Amino acid sequence: MGLTNILNQNNLNRQQRESVLGWALILPAAAIILSLILYPILYNIYLSFFDVNLEGGNTYIGLDNYSNVLFDLTFWNSVLTTVIYVFFTTVGTTVFGLIVALAMNKEFPFRWLVRSLVLLPYVAPVISVVFAWKFIFDPVNGIFMDITYEKLGIFSERFNMIGTPEYAVWVAILFSIWKGFPFAYLMILSRLQAIDATLYEAAEIDGANRWAKFKAITFPEVYFVIGSIVLLRIIWNFNKFDEIYLLTKNVKVMAVYTYFKAFTGAMEMGQGSALALIQFLLLVGFILFYVKKVLKW
Amino acid sequence: MVKNKSFLNRAGFFLLIIFILLFSVFPFIQMLSTSLKYQWDWGNPSLIPTQINLEAYKELLNIGQAEKDLPESVQNLINETPDITKAQKKAIIAKFKDTSGVFPFFRYFRNSLLLATTAALLSVSIAIFGAYSLSRLQYKGRSTIQRGVLFVYMFGGILILIPLYKMFVNMGFLSTKTGTFTSLLIIYLVQTLPVSLYMLGNFFRTISFSIEEAAMIEGAGRFETIWKIIVPLSMSAIVTVFVYSFMIAWNEYLYASVFLRGFEELQTLPIGLQTLFVSKNAIWDRIMAASMMTAVPVIVLFMSIQKNLAGGLSAGGVKE
Repeated sequence: MGLTNILNQNNLNRQQRESVLGWALILPAAAIILSLILYPILYNIYLSFFDVNLEGGNTYIGLDNYSNVLFDLTFWNSVLTTVIYVFFTTVGTTVFGLIVALAMNKEFPFRWLVRSLVLLPYVAPVISVVFAWKFIFDPVNGIFMDITYEKLGIFSERFNMIGTPEYAVWVAILFSIWKGFPFAYLMILSRLQAIDATLYEAAEIDGANRWAKFKAITFPEVYFVIGSIVLLRIIWNFNKFDEIYLLTKNVKVMAVYTYFKAFTGAMEMGQGSALALIQFLLLVGFILFYVKKVLKW
Repeated sequence: MVKNKSFLNRAGFFLLIIFILLFSVFPFIQMLSTSLKYQWDWGNPSLIPTQINLEAYKELLNIGQAEKDLPESVQNLINETPDITKAQKKAIIAKFKDTSGVFPFFRYFRNSLLLATTAALLSVSIAIFGAYSLSRLQYKGRSTIQRGVLFVYMFGGILILIPLYKMFVNMGFLSTKTGTFTSLLIIYLVQTLPVSLYMLGNFFRTISFSIEEAAMIEGAGRFETIWKIIVPLSMSAIVTVFVYSFMIAWNEYLYASVFLRGFEELQTLPIGLQTLFVSKNAIWDRIMAASMMTAVPVIVLFMSIQKNLAGGLSAGGVKE
């Protein structure tokens, strides 16, 4: 009501009225984002200097949280695991997405159906597919052990692949590639479809073979799409929690490590905050580097 | 020779397609297969059940559980007591029929549905006005807000989980059921809002301003224009944004696992299924049936907006 009154006042010109209306319309969204994203970021920095107690007050302990975290070898292990996870999932989803996009850009029978089915991993909720993956790798019932141990004899005994940290990380990476490649595929395919077909015809007249066509036409056209997909994938997978934690608790990437620190056992929330801040700074640093060097913005 | 090579090429191409297809759908086939198998059949690598077992689905949907679960003594009591009324009989059976204590799939489903629908509706409603403001109105500070929205886009849940949890504990929200539900609702709203704002804003920019102008010359106010022109014209985008927001809330695990610790009865599907899986043995069939029933609504929703999917993604409608 108050807003309508202000808007109807004659002493405001058109521009001022538009300004008031603009602020009024964005205000609910801006207030929510400000108080529940930006404020918590600052509050997180504050908490990282305290010994946080859920019921009582917090005690200021300076940089103790940071030194506790940084002198802990498990932290550096989690950084290493994160780097391995992010690197292989990013390369995997992008390369496989590109291959699928190139294949789906060709004509073949039932292409419409295949195109839809390929999207299933991406659209299905994590919680609904994670148990099927656990079952596949289950030591007693799973088909993976049946093939690798019973049929091919690669392993000398049935064992719990997801329960063994050095193998579990690769299962988690495969799972993430499976879940994420359709996104890369969709983005690349829609770019491929926009390429002018006459470019290829001209290249064929010039006698270009398939590889030459890919290198000279296709790749430059999809370069920036791939650049953005890689950036998004790195941001998402750097912070990834549920896809990893729900599949296995043995792959301690930084997000999982922070979760265990802050919400299990002694519930070291101060250290958790310090970890979150370190993780954030690492991410921002990387993004700045990537945007400058790879995307050349 | 040339013919031979092109045949090999074609064969290789079809093998590639088959590999892609198998890789994509195999876990789903495994899921369906196991949900229909008896326990003695689980270790059998064949995907076709030796004997079809619908018990898992029946138990989840609470079909025909009465006879199975009714203890013999109770059954005898009902049959041998002549003066028991029909209503009483029904009530007794219903008590035993209720499987929700064992595998409360319905409760999880209802909680998830309620949370995700409300959060998505709120998010879309607030975002319609916000996106209109960002895409149509000129004012100072607009670009700052716009950049801010993009900036918060990259905040994965774990980065602000601890401060948010502490904030809601400090405000006393997490000590009551309503408070817990509300706080989770607010969090899902926050997580979906930047996506909604960004996507809708991009879509509104594609609508020609001249239509609006014409309406305003006719004397329509701004709110009327939004309601009568912008909203109907962008219905497909609004539905797409709703589905995305719904998905984000429907899938969310991290915050639910921390915020819902105090109230088991509020557990959503992701957290409930995970808890069941960890705490119970030999429930592969029921877990798989529950997985199927969790996936199907979302897949149907997504397929219904499939033609907008690629466009929606490139408009920035993505968050994981």
